Amino acid sequence: MTIDFWGLGLQAINVLVLVWLLSRVFWKPIAAAIATRQSAAKAVTDAAAAQQAKTDAALAEVTEARDGIAAERIATLDAAKAEAEATAEVALTEARTKADALLATAKEAAKQDAETAQAANAAKAADLALDIAARLLAGLESPKVQAAFLAQLVDTIIKMPEADRASLVDAPKGIEVVSPGDPGEEKATIEKAVRKALGGAADLRFVTDPALIAGLELRSPHFVLHNSWQADLDQVRKAVKDAA
Amino acid sequence: MDSPLDSIALFHLGPVPITQAILTTWAIMAVLVAGSYLLTRHLALIPSKRQAALELIVTTLDTQIKQTTGATPAPYRSFIGTLFMFILVSNWSSLIPGVEPPTAKLETDAALAVLVFLSVIWFGVRGAGVGGYLKSFAAPNVAMIPLNVLESITRVFSMFVRLFGNVMSGVFVVGIVASLAGLLVPIPLMALDLLTGLVQAYIFAVLAMVFISATIKDGQSAKPPSPQKKDS
Repeated sequence: MTIDFWGLGLQAINVLVLVWLLSRVFWKPIAAAIATRQSAAKAVTDAAAAQQAKTDAALAEVTEARDGIAAERIATLDAAKAEAEATAEVALTEARTKADALLATAKEAAKQDAETAQAANAAKAADLALDIAARLLAGLESPKVQAAFLAQLVDTIIKMPEADRASLVDAPKGIEVVSPGDPGEEKATIEKAVRKALGGAADLRFVTDPALIAGLELRSPHFVLHNSWQADLDQVRKAVKDAA
Repeated sequence: MDSPLDSIALFHLGPVPITQAILTTWAIMAVLVAGSYLLTRHLALIPSKRQAALELIVTTLDTQIKQTTGATPAPYRSFIGTLFMFILVSNWSSLIPGVEPPTAKLETDAALAVLVFLSVIWFGVRGAGVGGYLKSFAAPNVAMIPLNVLESITRVFSMFVRLFGNVMSGVFVVGIVASLAGLLVPIPLMALDLLTGLVQAYIFAVLAMVFISATIKDGQSAKPPSPQKKDS
């Protein structure tokens, strides 16, 4: 067995040529294709990672903004609640004040109404009492009563100032002597007593006024001398009204 | 009678005798280069099934180189991959009637072994420098220099003898059985020959890679560390 060194060398060259050729047409192109795809995949992955980072940042920003909006909403709600509470408090206080004022006014009005009603009732009662008294006094009319009123009239005239009595005597249209009924035979007595009290010759005319109930009064255009139960009752009524 | 182990020159190109192994080698080279050219004409970013299969081959080879050496596979891919493909196709060419695989001849296996021997020197010098390569013979100590020198020759010798013995014996056995037992009986032996051819191609390529990486590693551990160029 021998080795052909020419053949050995030629085969070595053949294999070296084959290594070179396959390196150009097989190994390098396929390795380059793999590297190209890996770099493309890496570029896509990097772009996706960058996009992911951008998306994460945007998400964080949106989350932060949402939290801010929530906080602002809570603050706004709190402020609105406080403002509403303050407004309600003010309105409540105002309403309470107004209600108190109304209540006080109503109480005052009720009090005044009650007082008015009480005064009216008192006046009615007084009128009723005076009516009753007038009816009762009407039943008491008698010559003695009239004589008493005559005496009282004379006494009053005497107590008048001298000037008043003189003007009364000089009244141009005379003096009316008013009595509740016709004095009859008492006219002369009355006339005599009055003229004596006046101290002059006064012109006397007798006038009947049943409203007097009982009594004797002197009336001229500018002067009235009350002297009757009617006048007394009027005074009482006025006093009662003034008291009410 | 001529020995079946002898190579018979079919014709001469000048002083160079052209044997059938050389012709078969040329044919295999033509088939491999033409096939590779046709297969890699239209590589795209989105691979077809064919491209995916080709990329699987390259990726598997890169993985093997990386697992064996721990280095980037690009500088060694062409040499180791071509060795594997050539030996595999050569071994499997015995299935074609009338074709004797080139690896069944001493010259071809010896040529491959010589190339591995030279590649160890080439890659060793390129990876660790001339000093580093020479110092790799002194690993683990100076006393081992004679043994390491002897080993660098004998391991390559054993590679080509292993490949030659396995392929040649397979061809012989199939030929003998075919001549004795007819057409169908050698088929199991041919199937076994396929497996043997694959395993031998794998062993040869892996051993070449181991020798290269061991030399580079020994050379680099013998000199101070320096930034290593990263190949793509």
